Amino acid sequence: MLLRVENIHKSYGAVEILKGVSFDMAPGQSKVIMGPSGTGKSTLLRCVNHLTPPDQGRIFVEGEELTAKNLNSMRQKVAFVFQDFNLFTHLRTVENVAIGPRKLRGFGKKAALDLAYKELERVGLSDRADAYPAELSGGQQQRASIARALAMEPKLILFDEPTSALDPELTGEVVSVMNKLASEGMTMLVVSHEIGFARKAADEVIFMEGGKIIEQGPPSQLFEAPQQERTRAFLNVIEHGGDE
Amino acid sequence: MSAWLDFAIEHLPYVLQGVPTTLGLWVSAITIGAILGLVLAWARIYGNRPIYLIATIYVEIFRGTPMLVQMLFIYLGLPEIGIVFDPLTAAIIAIGLNTAAYQAEYLRGAVRSVPTGQMTAARALGMGRFQGFVNIILPQALRRVIPQWSNEAILELKYTSIAYAIGVTEITARAEKIGYETFQFFEVFLLIAAIYVVMTSVVAQLLLLLEKKVSVPGL
Repeated sequence: MLLRVENIHKSYGAVEILKGVSFDMAPGQSKVIMGPSGTGKSTLLRCVNHLTPPDQGRIFVEGEELTAKNLNSMRQKVAFVFQDFNLFTHLRTVENVAIGPRKLRGFGKKAALDLAYKELERVGLSDRADAYPAELSGGQQQRASIARALAMEPKLILFDEPTSALDPELTGEVVSVMNKLASEGMTMLVVSHEIGFARKAADEVIFMEGGKIIEQGPPSQLFEAPQQERTRAFLNVIEHGGDE
Repeated sequence: MSAWLDFAIEHLPYVLQGVPTTLGLWVSAITIGAILGLVLAWARIYGNRPIYLIATIYVEIFRGTPMLVQMLFIYLGLPEIGIVFDPLTAAIIAIGLNTAAYQAEYLRGAVRSVPTGQMTAARALGMGRFQGFVNIILPQALRRVIPQWSNEAILELKYTSIAYAIGVTEITARAEKIGYETFQFFEVFLLIAAIYVVMTSVVAQLLLLLEKKVSVPGL
């Protein structure tokens, strides 16, 4: 297993957000986590690379347990793409992508930039390499942040609602980059309500509610024949244009 | 006016000989202040409880007492416990320690104004907290702090004048000397006021150029 998530619990004050979540991911798999808001999806994702350390439970990447000691080296294997991009404001797009290899992977300046241009090409942003983040559209910023993640050559990329800060007409360009990565065999764990992406690229969909996994399975099964009443109700809401 | 010009031209060379002392004192002091200020700001933001407390007490003491008192203490007070400095060194230390407290606070504010997502993204890449601070937070905070820092730098350039009180022969001390020799205090202080204005204007313009040069869209 590439990733093993074992019995994750997390509380904020008296509120228990995650109530024991476990699942595994094999190399090359894509999983999409769905569920109502406030249900712990993003918290779970942040627990996977300890951006939010879990109260209980363990995370294994390639069999090695994530601890406070190996945190920084393990995070280089597990990249994270944020809802609001979080590109480094003071760096040009290409420098945003190059800084990881440069500072963390021992690349020289030239080698880091070469890699950055290559990753920008992968997400279709070569022509914006010299722009600052503030000069990019939301969709471009998110693609740049995916390129930043790719430049770490991670084993796994975590996507935290990568399209929910975008105007509807900009989500397509991000989703198509994600589709492409999935088809190239990148291992991806995605919190998103993009049903299109889930149907096309996900090997498995995890439906969460109230801090627990309610149901999981291949998208065809989960979308066409959900076993749980809660899953059916939720899918009904998102497929018929509710606010989820 | 022409009488003043004659006076100015006659005494200008002697006063100008103090400019290197004034500028040397200023550059040394604000450099000390910038380095120490950076350490203090780091301690106040990221330090554990004892380190935070030490830095906070430092800032409160140096902001809460007059710089002249600090300078007299260092030059006249410390020798009683065996620590002796020449006047220029004492002045550099006094102004440096004082401006460090202010620079720390400006920098702390600038660091705090950088959105938290920037550090989160740095940590998510695999940077440690210190690496994230140096590579991501600091370059943004330094850009944001330039306007306030310029004010502080100009303030300190004028504050170098109080070093005259402990016998540093910078330009104010030289002006006073000419005053007592000629009894033309009006003329001589007008002269050095003009010199200060020229120096502060040049510094302000240079810092404005710097601010423009390093500015980044969206920051």
